[in-house]
Amino acid sequence: MLVRAVLAGDPASFALLVDRHAPACLRFASRMLGNREDAEDVTQEAFVRAHRALARYDEQMRFRTWVMSILANRCRTALLHRHRRTSRVVVDGAAVDEAVGPENGDAELRDAIERALAKLDPAQREAFVLKHVEMLNYDEMSAITGAGVSALKMRVRRACDRLQVLLREDGYE
Amino acid sequence: MSEQRENDELTGTLARATRLLHDEPVPRAAWREAVLEAAERADVRPLAWSVRPMVAIAACAACLILGAAITYGVLHDRMENSAREIVASEGGSVRPGHLPVRFAVEAPNAVHVSIVGDFNGWNPAGLPMHLLSDGRTWEVEVGLAPGRYAYAFVVDGRLARDSSAAESGTDDFGVPNSVVLVGGS
Repeated sequence: MLVRAVLAGDPASFALLVDRHAPACLRFASRMLGNREDAEDVTQEAFVRAHRALARYDEQMRFRTWVMSILANRCRTALLHRHRRTSRVVVDGAAVDEAVGPENGDAELRDAIERALAKLDPAQREAFVLKHVEMLNYDEMSAITGAGVSALKMRVRRACDRLQVLLREDGYE
Repeated sequence: MSEQRENDELTGTLARATRLLHDEPVPRAAWREAVLEAAERADVRPLAWSVRPMVAIAACAACLILGAAITYGVLHDRMENSAREIVASEGGSVRPGHLPVRFAVEAPNAVHVSIVGDFNGWNPAGLPMHLLSDGRTWEVEVGLAPGRYAYAFVVDGRLARDSSAAESGTDDFGVPNSVVLVGGS
């Protein structure tokens, strides 16, 4: 197991853990924080903290769930302490209008869902992203967030309702 | 759990939009190197057990002496400082130079309440509060060095500000928090 190899002094195994889990971690952090730079910062912090605490890792839990719990905590801290941008998604309207091609509709829809996500309550956004983007089950989500399963289901449901309203307001039926 | 089943829970447009969020970013090579370097710098791997018995015995003896010295030092400090004696006599676990600060919130229907703040890295699992005998008030005492701390309560997973705090509000994202000032004298 890679974790045991790292603890035995093999740094290459930690690099493998990073390579295996960093893409999903960056995706989660990007969806939570709304931009790539902040996502890279918190994901780096999460991996460093995970490395430092590796001896306490419980093998009963999937490594991804464990590192994601550290990352979710870093994201919450980043959101609580954030005093910079309040608008995190900037859309160049002219460029969007001029853009053509079959993928243009997807690009617009992607911008719309990112804008809508940014407007969600952070706890609802976290639950929605873990459920419908990271495709985790509720037990894993509970382990990551510390919230109960019923509370998480409620957050996901409310997030879905709110996202549908926001997409509708943006012209998507 | 299949991806299809999860997406079936969403309506058409929301499902299509959510699928667009599934792309995984490719980590930049420079970022990857920075992560590995930072992790290596923070390396605290447990030592391999390859010490000889005599070395181990000597290390144990050194630890005992050091422990006794630290214990003596702590006791000596307590005797010299009456304020610290008071804290100790009240059963508090407040460190020297820190002041006991009691936080309380009324949440009669809550199942789990904790406190997060600048003093514990905003970790929701770090400082759980306990329910008092009145069945509605949750309380915890925290030892804090003099300073200004932003904090919030986590009531069943939701953040709540302290309505009794002198300074209270929300951050840029509507997250509630309050501020406590701990005196320096």
